[in-house]
Amino acid sequence: MILASVIVVLAFLALFLILHVVKGHHATGRDLDQLASRLQAVDVDAFRNLIDEREEEYLREHLPQREFRGIQRERKLAAIEYIRCASANAAILIRLAEAAREDPDSAVAQAAEKLFDNALRVRLYSFRVVPRLYAGLLFPGASLVPADLADTYDTVTRQVVMLGLQYPTRGMSAAL
Amino acid sequence: MLFLRYYLWLVPHVLLGIVVIVSLRKRLYQTLPAFFAFAVFQLVQFLVLFTVTKFVTPSSIHIYVWLLTCGALIGVLLQLAVLYELVRTVILSRTSLQRVLRLLFAFALAILVLASAATSGSLRDVGRERIMNGFETLDFSNNLVLAGMLVVILLFSRALNISWRSRATGVALGFGTSACIGLAAAAVRSGLGESAFVGVDVMQMAAFHVSVVIWIVYLFLPDRTPAFAGSGLAKSEIQFWEQELQRMTGQ
Repeated sequence: MILASVIVVLAFLALFLILHVVKGHHATGRDLDQLASRLQAVDVDAFRNLIDEREEEYLREHLPQREFRGIQRERKLAAIEYIRCASANAAILIRLAEAAREDPDSAVAQAAEKLFDNALRVRLYSFRVVPRLYAGLLFPGASLVPADLADTYDTVTRQVVMLGLQYPTRGMSAAL
Repeated sequence: MLFLRYYLWLVPHVLLGIVVIVSLRKRLYQTLPAFFAFAVFQLVQFLVLFTVTKFVTPSSIHIYVWLLTCGALIGVLLQLAVLYELVRTVILSRTSLQRVLRLLFAFALAILVLASAATSGSLRDVGRERIMNGFETLDFSNNLVLAGMLVVILLFSRALNISWRSRATGVALGFGTSACIGLAAAAVRSGLGESAFVGVDVMQMAAFHVSVVIWIVYLFLPDRTPAFAGSGLAKSEIQFWEQELQRMTGQ
């Protein structure tokens, strides 16, 4: 009977979740200007520096162990913040690309297609990388961030600029 | 109570007939073929079972239960096809990351199948007949996998910020409602035993009724993605973008 009760509760929770998410989907059409205003600046070079293994090696060799651990912790927390910003931007860019894909101009639609793919890639990477970075806080020595995250984000940023030349992206690349 | 049971058995299938006719007129079989096949199959199954009830006697009730179980098995396969169709339409067809995403969904499906196997094994048998218990296990497992996968797909697309076309949303919402209530009903039936059969049956049929109404509503709504507002690019902005491009590419 306990298992049955747990399943009933979980089933209603799942129903509530489904209704909530579907309601959210209905409210997702947005003003592009409003979307652009939510973008946050991400310094890709600074992020690259934070996850650079050679930089980490250099710090390890030149700093006392205790100080190195403290700094590594700060670096990882900063990297998490960068990834969160990049991920939030990617979410907005997915919407921008979706809107641009409907454009009758095939060049715009193609650019939007690429942007959509790469923004999706950044978003997926971020889901994978943030837990690994948190794990890195527990195990400071381990290298846990794939280097291609920064490259992908860079690609996305370039694609926004390309798209912005053809489509109203409303100041987005400035924020990126 | 008899009237209510007949109402909940007949009316949703009449409405499902409307869903099939409207789907044919709107050529939904081209965009959501698995959903269309599921709706047609549900109608055929209903017609067969309804006809059988007119001839079946208490001694031959096992024929009805066998037909019900075989129908449920085909229904499970069709519902899995609908799930795949939703994933393909909403997510996979729109990105080149199909391989990774397909793996993710296959993993989620495997976890849910394992969970359904573990929990359905732990639930109490609802009757004395093996075929009836088999049907209940199948129904419970199907609802668990369906509800779980719909939650995963919806949460995943929400996390990725991908928008859904309204018709796919309707299909998901309909299946989600029916699966979640069906799951709760199967658990109640297992917990309370044969005494809860009628009440739980009514609950499941009511859930299916709600699902069919949801499908009808979404079928009549225009199939569109969420609209975006915003003005075009001004000349000064184009100049800004050109400068930005030069800065980014280092030219």
